[in-house]
Amino acid sequence: MSTAHLIAVGSSPLGKTDLPGRDLFSRALAEAFEELPDPADVVDGLYVGAQSERYENQIMQGTLMAEWAGLRNVPAERVEACAAAGALALKNAVRDVRAGVHDAVLACGVEKMTAGGTEGATNALGAAFERALEQRSGITAPATYALLARRYLHETDATERDLGRIAVKNHRNAADNPRAMFQQAVDIDTVMDAPDVAPPLKLYDCAPVTDGAAAVVVANDEVAADLQSRPDAVRVAGVGSAANNLAVAERDLTFVEGANVAASTAYEDAGVGAADIDVAEVHDAFTVCEALLAEAAEFAPEGRGIETVEDPGDRSAGWTDVQINTSGGLKARGHPIGATGLLQAVEAYEQLTGRAGKRQVADADTALLINEGGVADAHTVAHVLTAQ
Amino acid sequence: MTEESNSPMTDTDSTTTGPLVPEDITADSPFTLPGFFDALSEGRLMAARCTECDTHLLPPRPACYGCGSRAVTLSEQPRTGEVISYTSVNRPPSAFDQLAPITVAVVELDSSARLTGRVAASLEDVAIGDRVELRVCDPEAVDIDPDFDLSYEEEWPIHVFELL
Ligand SMILES: [Zn+2]
Repeated sequence: MSTAHLIAVGSSPLGKTDLPGRDLFSRALAEAFEELPDPADVVDGLYVGAQSERYENQIMQGTLMAEWAGLRNVPAERVEACAAAGALALKNAVRDVRAGVHDAVLACGVEKMTAGGTEGATNALGAAFERALEQRSGITAPATYALLARRYLHETDATERDLGRIAVKNHRNAADNPRAMFQQAVDIDTVMDAPDVAPPLKLYDCAPVTDGAAAVVVANDEVAADLQSRPDAVRVAGVGSAANNLAVAERDLTFVEGANVAASTAYEDAGVGAADIDVAEVHDAFTVCEALLAEAAEFAPEGRGIETVEDPGDRSAGWTDVQINTSGGLKARGHPIGATGLLQAVEAYEQLTGRAGKRQVADADTALLINEGGVADAHTVAHVLTAQ
Repeated sequence: MTEESNSPMTDTDSTTTGPLVPEDITADSPFTLPGFFDALSEGRLMAARCTECDTHLLPPRPACYGCGSRAVTLSEQPRTGEVISYTSVNRPPSAFDQLAPITVAVVELDSSARLTGRVAASLEDVAIGDRVELRVCDPEAVDIDPDFDLSYEEEWPIHVFELL
């Protein structure tokens, strides 16, 4: 089995932009290949994560992105698992490189979420939920996660203010991230005074509607070694994924079992344990997710995931010293659905290669990524990345 | 094939504990959505019950996510249960604008089956543990934009919970 390396990354501006999806992809591609030969001389396959064709009335994204990258007559496929699509693209690229199917693959993701306004995004995202009983009850993404949050606050001693502090932490991290959509801190009073979206979740508990794209190059040992201009690639050491329940009603509301399985599989694949992880990007589409995923990743004891906001020395016994969502997370870096899993990989790449600037975690050499789609872990993809 | 396998099984008349056969899976069986909603229109809420691990699956389906078994049988469900979690959809999908804000809950029925539904009460009046009862509504009596429905969904009833 060949080793899969992440040899280059790129992202587009994130936020409400004047660029359609293919142009957002062009931006991400241009950054990723800034110091590389033409994509056609490097990669021989492409996966693109894209949540919904409702935004731009465009499917066949594999063909479109391949054309825009100058690739012709190579495998190029769109993958879909709602917000887990980006990591699914990465997973498929890693699988192909490990298996020797391709020497190098471009994994990318793109979403033009603002195309139809908030209403368009609400309607497009609603398709991720179970149709027969749940969509027909009028639920939305914030509402499904509010059902998790309400139950989490009921079963633990966490409070709405504790959830709000996760948003404060992630905004503070994003203030130091030049890629982030919201490069400014917010205080807890602003968070607590913001309007309700789906109680107990308020505006700052929810990741924003974001336009954006990301692209990463996954390569085998030979290609990684040939491209001397970027000698500091990181290794994709572990991969795991799992599908859990589609309907929120049928899932465990306070333990994301599928995410636990995906993370455990990735740890085992990489030969590491939770305590080895220095930095983690986890899927904080809503603040409560970060607490749930800290527990699912086995960073935190059951019911103590809420302490993700505390400095490692101030957390309960049983917590690891991991730093979570140094990028600002989905909440503050931005959440262009199909690109999010790859934006997580961009942050890990920067942390593991010492490029994270003011966000840099000292001596970070092992990272975990958890990307989810549907409500909570309806679909989870986890990756472990290590410095060379 | 036995005579019985031509008609949907219920807990009271089930004699099989194996996988469904293709002929079981027709639009008049509650193992399909048309059959499930036909039964619901008549006031019968149907789940599949796993005969191996007793997980209740609502709506019914051909296999159990709890243990993987296909030995599932139909089981009519009680209409009462309790609120496990709840929230309010302040900005619902556009087809539901006339209903906003929508109180929704995850309800655990007295059988242990769970389903999500609207609650006919304001958010302030709902709490975890509240007892509720399922009511089934004619779709035309609920103010959802008819364009929301796919062609095959137009006759399907809409469910809602009422506080007891
Ligand atoms: Zn079972």
